[in-house]
Amino acid sequence: MKYLVFLLTLMFAIKGPLKAQSAANPWTEKQLMAPGALAERITKGQGNNVMILAVGPDAVIKGSVNAGPAHEAAHLDQLKNLLKTTPKNKEIIIYCGCCPFDRCPNIRPAFKTITDMGFKNVRLLNLEKNIKTNWLDKNYPTND
Amino acid sequence: MGKLLGILLISILATNTFAQNTVLKAGQTAPEIRLPDSKGDTVSLASLKSGLVLIDFWASWCAPCVEEQPQLKALYKKFAASVREGKFEIVGVSLDKEKSNWQQMVARLKISWTQLSDLKFWRSPVAKDYGIGELPFNVLVDGQKKILAINIHGKELEDFIQQYLAAGNAVN
Repeated sequence: MKYLVFLLTLMFAIKGPLKAQSAANPWTEKQLMAPGALAERITKGQGNNVMILAVGPDAVIKGSVNAGPAHEAAHLDQLKNLLKTTPKNKEIIIYCGCCPFDRCPNIRPAFKTITDMGFKNVRLLNLEKNIKTNWLDKNYPTND
Repeated sequence: MGKLLGILLISILATNTFAQNTVLKAGQTAPEIRLPDSKGDTVSLASLKSGLVLIDFWASWCAPCVEEQPQLKALYKKFAASVREGKFEIVGVSLDKEKSNWQQMVARLKISWTQLSDLKFWRSPVAKDYGIGELPFNVLVDGQKKILAINIHGKELEDFIQQYLAAGNAVN
């Protein structure tokens, strides 16, 4: 039993910082979108009423527009420019896919910039590992 | 109770170790790599004659990879004598898509070892040949291109190179 308590303590100690970090994310759980759900919308031709923005390595996803890696100020300006004339109630989905969220330098500045601009309907594509595993390997629709 | 402990242990370990590579195994001959360098000249893994080669798979868009480059530079400097003697070499294989991003990052980081890329992003055949699921990823091979170690980083990587070179194994 002592061993179990030790393990639980250890687990809490390891998971603790991760939890603290996720609490600081600018998005909520509800603002995460499952990749399969987006793929289905695109496949069914229902992707036209949504703006899909790539803020990482490449605009892999079909119909998405590339704003460039958002950790660079120049790309954040590009992102703002792309959204300059977009209505604030437009559905926007952003994605990066370089790496897991805890290591990604792009999604936080991008998400914050877009919500700070006043957009009300912004979501983050939940590419848990990366664009390869969670999109390309599943043969979801792509731009090329 | 034992089962519960097992599950707890696995859940702790699973989040803290690199994913297992299902394609490569130590002792196998590494899949051949034939890719263009920054000048467009094709370079093959077989043509690299060093007794120990670190194949570093990275990309300019991969933040953890970029973070690792100064450590690799430090290793390259530390083992510079072995590099000069043809006993150790690093080769960078990039999964970049844009040539300018790739080359600007190489210039910014001041990396001097050979850099290769077909600029095909995740669709590069090397990603499949080496079973790469995420970056950074690396493989260490000997002079016969036999795989010695898969995806080791930091101190573990440094110790491995140190011990391998010290043991006089790096013959080409």
